[in-house]
Amino acid sequence: MMNTGRYGQYGGIYVPETLMPALVQLEREFLKFKTDEENNFYYRELLANYAGRPTPIYYAANLSKNWGNSIYLKREDLVHGGAHKTNNAIGQALLAKVMGKTRIIAETGAGQHGVACAMAGALFGLKTEIYMGEIDILRQNMNVQRMELMGAKVHAVKTGSRTLKDAINEALRDWIKNVEHTHYLLGTAAGPHPFPSIVKFFQQVIGEEARAQVLLKNKILPDYVIACVGGGSNAIGMFSAFLDDRQVKLVGVEAGGEGLDSSKHGAVLNKGTVGCLHGMKSKVLQNEDGQIQEAHSISAGLDYPSVGPEHVYLQEIGRVEYTAITDKEAVQTYYELAQSEGIIPALESSHALAYAKHLCEQNKNISVLINLSGRGDKDLAEVEKYGQSL
Amino acid sequence: MDNRYKKRFEQLNIQNRKAVIPYSMLGFPNSQQSYEIIRQMIKSGVSALELGFAFSDPVADGPIIQNASYKTIASNFSVVNAFDLIADVRKIDEDIPIGVLVYFNTVLSQGIDKFFKKAKECGVDGVLIADLPPENSMEVQPAALKHGIDLIFLLSPLTATNRIKTILAHAGGFLYLVSRLGVTGITERNAIDDLSLTSLVKTVQEQTTLPICAGFGISNPNDVQAMLNIGVDGIITGSRLIEIVQNDNREMLEQLDEFFNDMLAVCAGHRTLPLLK
Repeated sequence: MMNTGRYGQYGGIYVPETLMPALVQLEREFLKFKTDEENNFYYRELLANYAGRPTPIYYAANLSKNWGNSIYLKREDLVHGGAHKTNNAIGQALLAKVMGKTRIIAETGAGQHGVACAMAGALFGLKTEIYMGEIDILRQNMNVQRMELMGAKVHAVKTGSRTLKDAINEALRDWIKNVEHTHYLLGTAAGPHPFPSIVKFFQQVIGEEARAQVLLKNKILPDYVIACVGGGSNAIGMFSAFLDDRQVKLVGVEAGGEGLDSSKHGAVLNKGTVGCLHGMKSKVLQNEDGQIQEAHSISAGLDYPSVGPEHVYLQEIGRVEYTAITDKEAVQTYYELAQSEGIIPALESSHALAYAKHLCEQNKNISVLINLSGRGDKDLAEVEKYGQSL
Repeated sequence: MDNRYKKRFEQLNIQNRKAVIPYSMLGFPNSQQSYEIIRQMIKSGVSALELGFAFSDPVADGPIIQNASYKTIASNFSVVNAFDLIADVRKIDEDIPIGVLVYFNTVLSQGIDKFFKKAKECGVDGVLIADLPPENSMEVQPAALKHGIDLIFLLSPLTATNRIKTILAHAGGFLYLVSRLGVTGITERNAIDDLSLTSLVKTVQEQTTLPICAGFGISNPNDVQAMLNIGVDGIITGSRLIEIVQNDNREMLEQLDEFFNDMLAVCAGHRTLPLLK
């Protein structure tokens, strides 16, 4: 391989031997793809006319008034499919096609990545199978129906915590068996090298667009850029364009669940320790024997006991601050955006919004750019259920 | 002390026998029975032991070993308990090679040096880290070397010729041939796929004196014969054994004895079975 994909000591490749040749091939083909004009042109064309990019930056006037500061939303909720996941799914499906693979498999938590893969599978004529935890299937049933409608097969994962973590385990097991003809279309900036680099490459369009758009509008960069972090794909896509702008404060918001002092959260960067899961070295939620602990979040997309390795590195070097928002605060903000702007945010993105609200309570005259990574129609049933349980 | 793997494989070679290496999960179905199961292996005369540490996310394992892992973790059987059990097993037989199979996070959680030190103290000869490819073995190599433990590595049907050298540069004990694509478990073997391994085995044997033992989907004498036909030096069998244990009846140890004896018989060349059922 060209390299082992390290971010500081994090990342790397920790997989059984059977997958090594596939990762070697993937790295080689990805490096070729990155500089291949024809493929990149095709990818950009699909982003524009299939996915609907560029997505706008929206100055949320009502929210800005209510919160007493300037709030800008990067509208990834308007991407075809309803979330940023499409950017990566189209890119990797195209890469799979170039590699001559005939089948794609994927894990999904909230179902948005599953939907994006089902779309890409239909678009490119690739057989598509999605692994989704049994619990997530219950809480994101509409997305399951969407996947099936577009021709994907959805497997209910009944092992372990029956959520995203175990969906990734099952997808990896499928890949180990079918690696010759199957591409594992990983949806987040995690997993073994080269996946974190690939997902970042396909998601950095978010940050590139947002930075240019905000400069065009305001002539200056925002004071804060905020994104939610589960595995961390929307956040790395957004942050990557601002890493060199030292004056811009970057904040990643994790799932605080029922609170960081409870055992029910997904705040890996805040409460996790260094470990190895899903082919990478990163932070994980674990006990003293290295057994991975279940994460918890009302938002299925943040319900993951590890995180993309570059985020651990960015935290370690102090470039990005990682904080957490509870289920309750996220749900409150879900309602707030819906009622003040007529935009229903994904519960994942609601975490980023809720932290922005905190910031606005403590600061005056700041401008905040929030990545609204997805739309929240999918979360209606879950939010209603949560309201009843209070 | 002499390398137990080296000694054992030399003996087998002289006796014109192939190795039978059963895999068992430490602490499954409970600490006491786990000990009895391993003692039965030794009594039945198996060639070496492969003992697994339960991990919450065993991506290389199929449903049988996954479930055994979940149950073992749920019973609060810890890494410390697992090492204690190995130390007890070592007391039964001073000469049998003992290998452990772990996922990397188990090693990391204990501290790499501490894990290898403890393993040595308990009488372990080899450590196979299922999700640590040779590219990253520098992370554990110093500890393994310091404490005199062989690192066992995997070969797969897809291992390209140019990777064999990388693997051999770090490997000790024996080479674990993952004999089919997929995770551990009981599945019908494919005769054509099996035969296609012949050239890989031959290529590797030309470059090393390390024995090659085949695992994954080896659960009856037919499977063993198929593997011996492609020229390996031994077999590893796990899921079938756990299945027998799961059925948990009074004759469990007798059934295991019978199972080991069937496998040993093929490896002693006492029985020649047709390749296909």
